[in-house]
Amino acid sequence: MLSLDHVSVIFNEGTPNEVRALQDLSLFVDEGEFVTVIGSNGAGKSTLFNVISGAVEPKAGHIELDGRNITHWPEYRRSHDIGRVFQDPRLGTCPGLTIRENLSLAAIHGRRAGFRRDVKAGEEAWFIEQLGRQQLGLEHRLDADVALLSGGQRQAITLAMATLVKPKLLLLDEHTAALDPNAAEQVISLTQQLAEAQDLCVVMITHSMQQACDLGDRVIMMNRGRIVFEIAGEERKNLKPADLIDRFHSLQDGTELSDAQLLS
Amino acid sequence: MAAAASSADSQAGRSSSGNLRFLLRGLVVAAVVALIMSLGNVNIGAIGQGLAYGLAGVTVYLTFRVLGFVDLTVDGAFPIGAATCAVLIVGGQSPEVAILAAFVTGALTGLATALIDIIFKIEGLLASIIVITAAYTVTLHIMGGKSNVPLLGEETLISRYSRDFRSWLVEQFGDQMRRQSTNLLEIMIFGAIVIIVLVILYWFLRSEIGLAIRATGKNPQMVRATGLNHNLMIALGLMAANGLAGIAGALVAQQFGFADVSLGFGLIVRGLAAVIIGEVLLRPRSVGQFLAAATAGMLIFDISRAWIFSALDLPTTDIQFVSALVVLTALGAPTLYGRWKSYRQRHSS
Repeated sequence: MLSLDHVSVIFNEGTPNEVRALQDLSLFVDEGEFVTVIGSNGAGKSTLFNVISGAVEPKAGHIELDGRNITHWPEYRRSHDIGRVFQDPRLGTCPGLTIRENLSLAAIHGRRAGFRRDVKAGEEAWFIEQLGRQQLGLEHRLDADVALLSGGQRQAITLAMATLVKPKLLLLDEHTAALDPNAAEQVISLTQQLAEAQDLCVVMITHSMQQACDLGDRVIMMNRGRIVFEIAGEERKNLKPADLIDRFHSLQDGTELSDAQLLS
Repeated sequence: MAAAASSADSQAGRSSSGNLRFLLRGLVVAAVVALIMSLGNVNIGAIGQGLAYGLAGVTVYLTFRVLGFVDLTVDGAFPIGAATCAVLIVGGQSPEVAILAAFVTGALTGLATALIDIIFKIEGLLASIIVITAAYTVTLHIMGGKSNVPLLGEETLISRYSRDFRSWLVEQFGDQMRRQSTNLLEIMIFGAIVIIVLVILYWFLRSEIGLAIRATGKNPQMVRATGLNHNLMIALGLMAANGLAGIAGALVAQQFGFADVSLGFGLIVRGLAAVIIGEVLLRPRSVGQFLAAATAGMLIFDISRAWIFSALDLPTTDIQFVSALVVLTALGAPTLYGRWKSYRQRHSS
């Protein structure tokens, strides 16, 4: 479904502040697969998402989604196929507009905006069904301004918007990091439920080792713009947060990274 | 806290009872304005002028409030619209065609600002200053190198009906109405045009594209993530906004009986005042209410300025200074009021 082929991203190239954010990175994510990405700050996780979503152009390599080369597509065009939920709950929804208007905007997904009425009576049942599945009661508040909602509710709305029209790929960028533990748990179970119900292809960045072990089929650890290890299959099924933390620390000590460090 | 409360109101504002409340508030404000006009002996010509300029207030509402784009292009789009209209009327076109053409040239001015912003990544404020500067020359060229095109003896929307209307008025209400006939005619014609334009604009803003434009001003990142081209939305929004400024220019040219290259001077400040006066006095909550409030704000601005002029018996040379004072009052009064309230609170407890 998604494939990155030897992708490199360099910021401030040729200056003393040069940052090699992604170094010759290759990644393949299959249809219906759920991948979690972990790694310390500055490991290149967000750059990985930005290069997939089109906010950043790669210096080298190319990116394919569903068999199409999207390397040079503008961000908005890729968004026809990619749903996104951001870390900051304010980024995913539009304050000043109602829940209904936000969902109506998401319903345009995959086609051009036209001169049809912004809010259509025929879409109400669809919205209510989509929000009803979340069991947060938001389906009764379609005409509430999104600015009134809590961070957790906003992330739930953003999830609903990102999956209202089934995306080919769903990118979750630490989407529970800004939430309180209760809301985070709720949003995570929503995520799991949506991914299973729609058989979505998901890539999720997280700082929670627990989430990395609970969710998905594969864990990827990034460091210094590279993927340093992947855990899948049997090993992934028996994975404990403590194991991940051990490997995380061994990375920091440099024991597992000697080759990569020598090369960089 | 305050933000949450005002948002809670906005929910109610979408219901029909919200519209009723808005209408009632509008009637109260209208009554007060009418009272001031009759007590202060303000000529009703100020209403016609306010209506002619009214759409320029909507321009500023669209750019500042809806798109969140600091745009001064209205200062250039307005005289371009006036010039286009005047030249076409002198060239024998009907006033209706001239107004439509003024919309197009105004919209192209807005497009120029949008393109500079999008292609060169120059901020709206600077992009629009560049466009205003260039627009000055463009306006002069449209008017064939002259700085002024008179419409004396040409057929405008006003002159077309003025004779018939005057004789009908005198016949119905007697000779004392003769002096007011042009003013009344302007109010009716400009009022009708403003209402038609606002209805079309409301329909546009309530379309899918309009929804995307409204969202772009609040959260461009989200608009991109929804698969919509936010640059296109900025361009469409600026074109619609400055097209309205072009129409306003065309109406003012027909009212004044000439187009002049300096007509747009200071318009951005008046537009801003119109938006704020409308918001403070009418407290609009929904798209339609905001459009009405911005237009009404321009009307109230022109009327209060005329009132100050007649009350203080000022010469017309002082017009810009009085404008600036009215704008300062409109912008500063809410802040002063807030300070006064917190001062009272501190000293009462």
